[in-house]
Amino acid sequence: MKRLFRFALTAAAGAFAASTYAADPIVIGVSIAQSPPGSVVQGTQVKDGVDIVVKMLNDKGGVLGRPLKVVYEDNQGIPEKGRAATEKLITRDKVVAVTGGHQSSVCLAEIEVAHRYKTPYVNTNCWSDDVRAKGYPEVFNPGNYNTRVSSAMAETIAALKVKSVIAFAENTDYGIGQAKLLGEFLKKAAPQTDYKYVALDRAGKDFTPAVLPLRANPPDLVVNIMLPPAAYILMNQLYEQGVAPSAKTAFYDGAGIADYPDFWQNVKEAGKYMLAFGLYHPAMPMPALGKEVGEIYQKQAKTEPNRLIFQAADSVLLIARAIEQAKSTDPAAMIKALQGMQFEGTRGKFSFSREPGYRFQQWVDIPYVTYQLTEVNQPVSKTTLIQVPGQPLQIDKVLRPAK
Amino acid sequence: MTGTPLLALDLFVNGLIIGLFYALMAVGLTMIFGILKIVNFAHGEFYMIGAYTYTLISLGLGVSPWLALPVAAASGALLGWATERWLMRPLYTGYGSWGLMKDEYAVVVTFGLSLLLINLVDKVVGPYPVRGPALSDVTRVALGPFMLSGQKLITAGVAIVLLIGLALFIKRSLWGRQVQAVAQNRLGASIAGIDTARATSIIFMASGVLAALAGALLAPIINPAPDVGIFPAVKSYVIVVIGGMGSIPGSIVAALALGVLESFGAVYLSYDYRDTFGLVLLILVLLFRPQGLFGERAREV
Repeated sequence: MKRLFRFALTAAAGAFAASTYAADPIVIGVSIAQSPPGSVVQGTQVKDGVDIVVKMLNDKGGVLGRPLKVVYEDNQGIPEKGRAATEKLITRDKVVAVTGGHQSSVCLAEIEVAHRYKTPYVNTNCWSDDVRAKGYPEVFNPGNYNTRVSSAMAETIAALKVKSVIAFAENTDYGIGQAKLLGEFLKKAAPQTDYKYVALDRAGKDFTPAVLPLRANPPDLVVNIMLPPAAYILMNQLYEQGVAPSAKTAFYDGAGIADYPDFWQNVKEAGKYMLAFGLYHPAMPMPALGKEVGEIYQKQAKTEPNRLIFQAADSVLLIARAIEQAKSTDPAAMIKALQGMQFEGTRGKFSFSREPGYRFQQWVDIPYVTYQLTEVNQPVSKTTLIQVPGQPLQIDKVLRPAK
Repeated sequence: MTGTPLLALDLFVNGLIIGLFYALMAVGLTMIFGILKIVNFAHGEFYMIGAYTYTLISLGLGVSPWLALPVAAASGALLGWATERWLMRPLYTGYGSWGLMKDEYAVVVTFGLSLLLINLVDKVVGPYPVRGPALSDVTRVALGPFMLSGQKLITAGVAIVLLIGLALFIKRSLWGRQVQAVAQNRLGASIAGIDTARATSIIFMASGVLAALAGALLAPIINPAPDVGIFPAVKSYVIVVIGGMGSIPGSIVAALALGVLESFGAVYLSYDYRDTFGLVLLILVLLFRPQGLFGERAREV
C-alpha cells in the first residue's frame, strides 16, 4: 500500500511537472521605438499589431500548446540601442526570435546581433535593401523594400509624363537609399526626366531654405522620402511657399505616411491632392485573417488600420508558424522552416525568395497601391485609387489644384 | 525681380525670421547664465512645455489660441519658478556642505530635468506629434515678393515685441536693475539690500516665459513632439557662446546672424551642412574672440 502511494505521488509530481513545462511561455522579442528620437508613431503601430495577433493566438491555445509571451525593448530609433536591445533579448530573455524592426538603420545594427547568435530575425518594416543584401540566413523580410517602392514610383512618374522631379529624402539608410534607387529606375522608365534629390535632416524643424529655390524654378513633381514628424513639416512649408501641391507642381509621397493616425491633424490643406504610394488600402483584396485583424484594430483604436498593423501581425504569425512547422523552438529548425514555408498571413500568401541581393529572403511581390487624397481629413478608404495591385495605372484619375 | 536676387532676398527675410525664433530661446538661456553662471540643459523642455500647453489647452478645451498663448506663457513662468525654487537654490543658499561642484550640480540637475520632462510628456500626452492651432487661418500671405504663413508673420511680430519688452524691463524697471546688479556681483547686491533669490527667480521665470512663448508661437509650424526642444536648445547653446555668455544683445545679434548664415549657406553652399555653419562660426569665435561677440573678458582677483 505504501509503495502504491509512493508511486501515485511520483506519477502526480511527474504529471504536474509536465503540465508546468507545457505551459511555459514561448518568448518573442520585439524591439521598437517607444520613445524619441525614434519614430514612436511607427513603434506604437507595430506594438498594436503584435498585441492583437498574440492575443488571437493565445486565445486559440497558443503555439504547440504553449502561450506566447512578448518582451518589448525600446530602441529609441538609435542603432546602438537596437543592438543592445537585441543582445539583451537573446541572451537574458532567451527569446526564440526577434522582430518589430521598423527603422532601417536600427535593423542594420540588430541583424548583426541576430546573425551572431544565429537567432531568427523577422524584419517588420525596414525598407533599406541593405538589410536583405547582407544575405544573413537568420533574417526574413515579409515587409516592403526600397527597390519595390522606387520601381513603383518610377512607373507612376513616367506615366505622369513630368519633365523635372525633385525628391526630399531624410538623411538615413532608408531615405538616401530610396532616393538613389528612384534615380536609377527613372533613368530606365523616364530617361527624359530631370531628377535630383536633396537630403534633409530627419530631426530638422525648418526646411524653408531647401524649399525657397523651388519658388523661382518649380519642378513638375516633388517627391517625399521622409518620415514624420519631419515629413509633415516639409509638407506644410512646401504648401506655405506655394510650391506644392499646386497647378504646376504635384506632390507624391513615397514613405507611406498618408495612413498614419496623426497625418491629417498635422498637415491639413497641405495634404490635399497628395499622391501616395501605399501598402494597404481598404479596397485591396485581403484574406479573412487580415480582415479580422483590421476589424479588431478598428474597434479598439476607433480609426482605420494601416500597413504596420498587418506587417507586425504577420511578423509574429511567421514566427508562430515556423515553430509549429519545426515542432520546436530550436533556432536552426525555425530558420529551415521559414525558408521553405508557404505562408498565408494577414496580407496574402507568399514564400521567401532565395535569390541573393535585395530579394534575399524577401516577399518579392508584396502588393501595393497608388492613391490620391482629394479632400482634407479624408480617410484612406475614401481616397481615389490610381492603381490597384496588379492592375495598370489609371493616371487620368489624378487631380490637380486649380492654382 | 529676377530669380537670383529674389531668392537672395527671400533667404535673407527667412533667415531673419528664423533668427528671431532662435533669439527668443537664446536670450532666456543667456540671462540664466548671466546671473548664475550655469547652463540650463532643460531650456529646450521649457520650450516644449510651452508648445504643448498652448496646443492642448486650445485643442482640448476648445478655447481661442489667443487665450491659450498667455496660459502657455504662465506655464513657462511656473516651470521656471519651480526649477529655480526646488532645483537651483542649493547652488547659492548654503548647501555647500553637500560637497558638490557648482557646475557639476547644475549639469546633472538640469540634464535630469530635461530627460524627466521629455519622458513624462511622452508617457502622459503620447508620442505623436500634435500640430498646434494657428493664430491666423491665413496659410499663405504674399508680402510683395515674399510668401509667408499668417502664423509666421504673427510669430515674428510677437517675437520683436517680446524682445523689445524684455530690453525695456531689464533697463528701466526696478526689478530689471536688481537683476543687473545681481548678475554683476551677487554678494555686493545682497549687501546693498537686494533680494538676490527673488532676482534669480525672476530671471528663471522670464526665461521660462520666453522659451514657452517661442514653443507656443511655433507650435503650428514645428508640430510639437516630446523631443521638440532638443533642436532649438542646441542652437541656443551655440548662439549664447557666439554672442558672449551672459550678453542679451550679443545673443540677439548672434541669433539673427546665425539664422541668415544658415539660410544662405543651405542654398549656396550645401544643405547637408546647414547645421554645421553655426558650429564653424562657433569655432572661429572661440579661436579669435573667446569671450564672444559682445562678451567681456573675465577678470578675477
